[in-house]
Amino acid sequence: MAEMLQPKNQNLRLTKYEYRLVFSKEGRARYISHLDLLRTFQRVFKRAGIPLWYTQGFNPHAYMMFPLALSLGTDSRVEILDIALTEKLPFDEVRDRVNREMPEGMSIISAGEPVMKHTEIAFAEYEIRFCMTGMTGSETEESFLRFGEQEKIEVEKRTKKRGINLVDIRPHINILGTDRCEGLAVISLRLPAGTEFNLNTNVVIEAFESFCGSKVDLIYTKRTKILTKDLENFI
Amino acid sequence: MEEIRKKVEQLLLKTQKPARYIGGEHGSVVKDKSKVDVRFAFCFPDVYDVGMSHLGMKILYGLKNAVPNYWCERVFMPEKDFEALMRENNIPLYALESLDPIKDFDFIGFTLQYELSFTNVLEMLDLAGLPVYARDRKGLTPIVVGGGPCVCNPEPIAAFFDLFILGEGEEVNLELMRLYEKMKPSAPTKEEFLREAAKIEGIYVPQFYDIAYNEDGTVASITPNVPEAKPKIRKRVIADFDHTYYPDTFVVPFTGIVHDRVVVEVLRGCIRGCRFCQAGFIYRPFREKDISTIASETKTLCEQTGYEEVSLSSLSTSDHTKITELLTTLSDYTDKENINLSLPSLRIDTMSKEIVDRIAAVRKSGLTFAPEAGTQRLRDVINKNLTEDEILRTCRLAFAEGYQTVKLYFMLGLPDETDEDVEGIAELAQKVVELYYQTPKEQRGKSVQVSVSCATFVPKPFTPFEFEPQATPEQIKHKQGHLLDCIGSKKIKISYHQQNVSVLEGVLARGDRRLAEAIYCAWRKGCTLDSWDEHFRFDLWQEAFAECGTDTAFYANRRRSYEEITPWSHLDYLVSHEFFVRENKKAHEAKTTRNCAEGCSGCGIKKECGGVYCG
Repeated sequence: MAEMLQPKNQNLRLTKYEYRLVFSKEGRARYISHLDLLRTFQRVFKRAGIPLWYTQGFNPHAYMMFPLALSLGTDSRVEILDIALTEKLPFDEVRDRVNREMPEGMSIISAGEPVMKHTEIAFAEYEIRFCMTGMTGSETEESFLRFGEQEKIEVEKRTKKRGINLVDIRPHINILGTDRCEGLAVISLRLPAGTEFNLNTNVVIEAFESFCGSKVDLIYTKRTKILTKDLENFI
Repeated sequence: MEEIRKKVEQLLLKTQKPARYIGGEHGSVVKDKSKVDVRFAFCFPDVYDVGMSHLGMKILYGLKNAVPNYWCERVFMPEKDFEALMRENNIPLYALESLDPIKDFDFIGFTLQYELSFTNVLEMLDLAGLPVYARDRKGLTPIVVGGGPCVCNPEPIAAFFDLFILGEGEEVNLELMRLYEKMKPSAPTKEEFLREAAKIEGIYVPQFYDIAYNEDGTVASITPNVPEAKPKIRKRVIADFDHTYYPDTFVVPFTGIVHDRVVVEVLRGCIRGCRFCQAGFIYRPFREKDISTIASETKTLCEQTGYEEVSLSSLSTSDHTKITELLTTLSDYTDKENINLSLPSLRIDTMSKEIVDRIAAVRKSGLTFAPEAGTQRLRDVINKNLTEDEILRTCRLAFAEGYQTVKLYFMLGLPDETDEDVEGIAELAQKVVELYYQTPKEQRGKSVQVSVSCATFVPKPFTPFEFEPQATPEQIKHKQGHLLDCIGSKKIKISYHQQNVSVLEGVLARGDRRLAEAIYCAWRKGCTLDSWDEHFRFDLWQEAFAECGTDTAFYANRRRSYEEITPWSHLDYLVSHEFFVRENKKAHEAKTTRNCAEGCSGCGIKKECGGVYCG
């Protein structure tokens, strides 16, 4: 009976229940751009019959929020999507229903209540497996370590107001470890992330390219963690 | 596959919209290769964004994949940036589902939707690592097949294909694949297979026909050279259209495409008989789906894809015999599900105000009319039965509702067109503008914009105008200039299509086999993606025509006699030659022909084809 009292038009349903989904985006799905990801999820939820809550503005749209964008081509199993529903559904049910409709390479790993605020995101960790043209994995690794030993790593940054200027990114790069695997160098990095200051792995790799005067031959990037300023997992 | 995948993955980061080149979309079909007997690479010879919007591909993809041991995959033309990367890195053209090279497939099928995609076919064959000329592909597979509307005159590209499929593909595609499945174990030669295939109705094997030419360049004769080749090849028609296969899901792309929504086909064929319109004749007869079929297909597809928009597809949706009931039924469902129902090709004059309001409530876009010609006389010549009164009446209503933009589509270079007809375009646009100012201020919108779009008329085979000369670029230039001189209001905006594109389209549309060399030559010079303004290189096409000694005026600007043997005269699209001659004569007398709903005009289509108004 309670359901019958709900207005038919979902736009008028005001109660909302918030969910935080952790999802993976790997393999073929790593090439879905950020904009396309939004559209992809809209259709996934529609197929799964998940009652999304719509924003109440002049142009109502399903509420979906990705607090931290993922670069095109980067794999991840720690991505965050916040949604709101008009009905309270068990977390596991949301996860399972959505997973039945997900495209190849994407799945919901967990669904829960949002605990932290988006602004608490401060860092992200990455694992980059790669090698440079004309270099072996161990040469790439050694070279990257030398790259990290520099006092300054200056990159060009384009801003709207001041045009192009040089920024030192060295203080922001935290090399957590290096290794080799199947002929590739494996680098673990922690970089600033979030709304205040964000450093993309592409920027680091481009700086490395000019450092060693060679282009990337093969590269696989994976985001492994999203962290707060106290290095706690963002939940 | 693994090797291609690894290479492609690295390149995707260097290309625009990489999601177009890697597959993996919801609804794409991946099968276990060891359980598949026939593999079909369905190629759309244009980029992903265009090809993925094509309904025919969705239908045939679903149809073939519904057979457990057949696997149909999608292939599109890469954009120039990715094509260059593929060539640099020795990546052969691959199919999006398996990422396997298509040269190893049993069939490679191209849908030929417009003439300007012809060079893309050559490019795709070459990217696949195959010789482009059929005569140079000696083995049985891949068998290169072509279908779609351009197959009604496939002669200019016949040299590149093993066979063509005429007409609707739902039945004949499976018949062809079954024949192949049956013959494959006995390892036939390509010729043995093609001779058997030629026995199937609707299948045209160009190499089994010899063409002789007269001294004046016209065709002297078209003669079958094997017993299996029929003197006339008839197009295929689905007589029971209401029960024919329709997919229950679509491949849902990640990246935006041209038509990104559910599409439900409500009717096929057209009753109108506009004399310039090839689609209006080659898709005859007019057949429609039951309301319950359309409603259930709409619901299933919306649920399966997650799209929030559905569009009805047809040549003229309002000609459905139960249009009001149909729209009421559908909008009951779409309203409830927050789905947007969009209705292209709708004639507002035939519907109740209630329905118009209901549809208009969704989105107040603009009004679009296609009067095609500026005066009633010329509209009678082309048999376009839309009167000035109808246009003005609808505009008056629309302006009172607050509409601010009206688009008017016209063609320049129609048969028997005079300067007076060109002036008529400007006058009609002016009348629409004036109508806006006559609307009370409190009702009308803030301003008005009338967009006049002028295409160049290109005569096409299997129309009453197939005999007509195409207007020369000089004539069109004069007409365009004259039209601009006649426009007085700043509220009227005129736009034209690129003139040289129409010239090429005109040559290819009514060309013969001798054009193959010029097409090959143009492609060799770098002509691909000709339908994209930024890639179209008319200078290279002109070089190619010059080098091959092609007289473009012979194909485009010459009047053909009723008796001339056309390059497509061995193909039978069921509408009779006599009907086209009759219609052509009536056109020159500016006499209209009634539409099929008003009464049969004897076009030659038989009752057995399932037409609503036939027999």
